[in-house]
Amino acid sequence: MSYGLSVFKADGSLGFSTADVTWQTVAQFTVAANATVANTYSEAAGMTVIAQRQLVNVPPNSQEDYIPNVVVSNNSQTITVSPQSGLSSSQCIIHVLAQDS
Amino acid sequence: MAYGFEAKNDSGKVIINDTIENLHFIGKATRGSSDSGQSTISGYSGSNSTLDGRCIWTYTITSAGTPVAFIKPVDYARWHGIIKQSVSSTTWTFQVMVSGTSTSNPPEIYCFVNADSIAVPSGETHGMLVFKSDGSSKTFDSRRQPLAITGGASAVPPTDPTNSSGLPGTTTGHAWNYATNDHDFRSSNRYTAYSDSNINTSNTMFSCPSIAQAVYKRQMHGYKCSDFTWWKSGCQAHNSTAAWWVMYRGAYRLRAGNFDAGWTNYAGGYQFSSSYESAGWFGGSTNNYSTGSMPYTAKTINLQSNAYIVADSSRYN
Repeated sequence: MSYGLSVFKADGSLGFSTADVTWQTVAQFTVAANATVANTYSEAAGMTVIAQRQLVNVPPNSQEDYIPNVVVSNNSQTITVSPQSGLSSSQCIIHVLAQDS
Repeated sequence: MAYGFEAKNDSGKVIINDTIENLHFIGKATRGSSDSGQSTISGYSGSNSTLDGRCIWTYTITSAGTPVAFIKPVDYARWHGIIKQSVSSTTWTFQVMVSGTSTSNPPEIYCFVNADSIAVPSGETHGMLVFKSDGSSKTFDSRRQPLAITGGASAVPPTDPTNSSGLPGTTTGHAWNYATNDHDFRSSNRYTAYSDSNINTSNTMFSCPSIAQAVYKRQMHGYKCSDFTWWKSGCQAHNSTAAWWVMYRGAYRLRAGNFDAGWTNYAGGYQFSSSYESAGWFGGSTNNYSTGSMPYTAKTINLQSNAYIVADSSRYN
């Protein structure tokens, strides 16, 4: 590598460099059952934003656990989490990840 | 940028800055107990009784931040999915479902958290730190390995989880006590493939929680009329009902050059009932049998795209 940044591990091996690609983490939060949440992250403006959803304490096998919808808007700055139309939603972990676009 | 730090990669994309945190490797989760089974429809031994089966392993890791968990398959031919995540204080628990019933070759779970939540031993004094403008919150800490990814997109399994296409509905007109399943509830041929040339079956790991669920049910009603002249209407009614049901969870498989989104059966059961009208001295009779109750009425829920990320696990060994 003739230019850029390399970060090495304690054993001297390469750990991370500007040859790499990554997703950075904008936020992680847990949304309560049936709740609607809208969070704004100005630092994510213009980036490619994805949201991973992980239901908490599911399954089991005795109920319908609906995952909430996630909408990214406002130039990728606003993350809105809300129940699917006409359905209750279960508690859910939201990982908001961003990548320079 | 008036102050701070920013590093762009060879494609000109920001990979480190002082506003958004990088994810860092904090370790592999510790594997605990396992449960395997569901290779057949419980209580039923006739046609189409075979399921794919599944193992569920439980893993734990301690973290102040919410981990992003990656599954590193050991047996890449099997389907994997994190079906449950929970936390007690700072102990995170994951249940990982894998297709098949073998308890050999359980997957490894690699965990990453945001920079400001990683715990670094006091003896590790060298490296590079990047702080936010508050001067105390970290966005990058080279003392823990930062996440580098090789790909990712969004994935959703196909609507129908069963090898026999279409909804296995309810039919009538069968013979009394007829109980022969005609629907293949296995899922091995049902998946959506997403091309990704960087995926291999040696080191690739992925992060994509399982959110899709489905319950499929096949039901048959049988009937017989015993024509006795002494019977009050001339017809003694005999009725039977046989039902097979399977619950599925979304699962994923890594193939060379492909990320597959499909299904694996989580549970299943068989129900049977048979009865005929009482005939006085000849009595009436009811026969019921059930190996479990359906978790909910047959339907598919949460069939939505979920973000997936793939990375090279060998960087974190």
